[in-house]
Amino acid sequence: MSPHILPHLNKYRAWIVLALTGLLIALAPLPSRITTPTERHFRVEARSFEYHPAVLRANLGDRVTIELVPMDVVHGIYIDGYDLELHADPGQTEELIFIADRPGTFRFRCSVTCGALHPFMIGKLQVGPNSLLWRGAGLATLAALAGAWKLRR
Amino acid sequence: MKAERLARLFVIGLFLGLPLAILIARWLPPGSASEQTVEMHAKMAESGGWTPSDLTAEVGEPLHFRLTSDDVVHGFAIGQSDWPAVDVNPGEVTEATITFEKPGKYVFYCTRWCGPGHWRMRGVIEVSGRTAAEQEIEQPLYAVLGLDIDAPHLAAVIPLQRPSARRGASLGIPIPKMFQDPEYLRRHSPAETWSILRADTFTQELNDDQVWDLVALAWQNSTSSAALALGQQLYTQNCAACHGETGSGEGVMATSISPEAQPTAESGHDHRPPANFTDPEMMLGASPALLQGKIIRGGMGSGMPYWGPIFTEEQTWALVDYLWTFQFDLY
Repeated sequence: MSPHILPHLNKYRAWIVLALTGLLIALAPLPSRITTPTERHFRVEARSFEYHPAVLRANLGDRVTIELVPMDVVHGIYIDGYDLELHADPGQTEELIFIADRPGTFRFRCSVTCGALHPFMIGKLQVGPNSLLWRGAGLATLAALAGAWKLRR
Repeated sequence: MKAERLARLFVIGLFLGLPLAILIARWLPPGSASEQTVEMHAKMAESGGWTPSDLTAEVGEPLHFRLTSDDVVHGFAIGQSDWPAVDVNPGEVTEATITFEKPGKYVFYCTRWCGPGHWRMRGVIEVSGRTAAEQEIEQPLYAVLGLDIDAPHLAAVIPLQRPSARRGASLGIPIPKMFQDPEYLRRHSPAETWSILRADTFTQELNDDQVWDLVALAWQNSTSSAALALGQQLYTQNCAACHGETGSGEGVMATSISPEAQPTAESGHDHRPPANFTDPEMMLGASPALLQGKIIRGGMGSGMPYWGPIFTEEQTWALVDYLWTFQFDLY
């Protein structure tokens, strides 16, 4: 950059710092805890109209086994993003085995019409840390700080 | 002029003829159609079950079903027939056609667990035909023997370890002919068979558990792996929800039929939990004929369904055979 422009830029220094910090929060690679893939076994009890447990956590690369145990009527499980489906009758436990190879948080829901509140029978599968949440929180904090700083000036 | 008269006649004919044709079509007996179509709605037993639930049909005439569900997933099958079960899903119409070959009363039932009252979802098809049901109805074995199904049947002796047919075979002792007869075994409980074997002279060298192994071997000889496979399939589909996949009586439905969960008057269920097939005292004191009776009649104060009109005799025996695998290592 030529020295002619530098004083010009100086005027916007605060904005540049802000934008760079924002980019850093949004895109910087997180210090990844290196985890060796393991076996994860979940026994998910399904009853009208809930899963127990409703939140399943796994790390990237884990071999996940979901054992679906319907407690009252025929229930199923459909995992968005992974495109996996399974359903089972009470008394006939079924298993779903897959490799958690996509990071993120995925909604799973009942795939068999099980009653009036069937559409609300949902749970979630978390694969890896929820970086979207932390990055979003960081950006929100940055925006709040910037606003406070602007007001004080 | 002539053309106009013709046109008027045509219009009048149209106005009179069309309603008349519709009326005639409506009043004509439905029998003129070669197939009888039944539109059937399935609801959970608590909210009405099958509508309609009483049907009539003729031998040899196809009965056409249009099945749909008004709430959850149900299944439709006809008891004591080879006709395969179909799923009945909400918002979908399942079509099925059945032709009955023999007159009689057929029970149709729900095959998918649709709630605690699932097994109450049943209906009747009365099939009439020119050839009246001539064959005599055979009494099931438990009725022939006049067994009291509700009497307590605790085994006087129970094995210390789980009897194994393989260990029994490795003893190298031939089983007396009497115990090779399946008919004999069906009429006697394992505990009775054990007592007779124990009292016999050829078992003097054996300890009590080895005699139990011989009993297991006799039981293995009376069944086949095909029957056990059929029994297991029937068990998982129809029994495991209450009696548990391990036979311990702690199935997922067991809690919902307990008296604490539901008032007795409303549910029709009584105070007893589903039977525990892993309990040797209860199981080894029961003869296969007694178990057959329990399956056919149901009840027992636990809200057990009656399977008489659903299972064929072969299926009931296969199920009884499978129940012994909760006590014996047969293979």
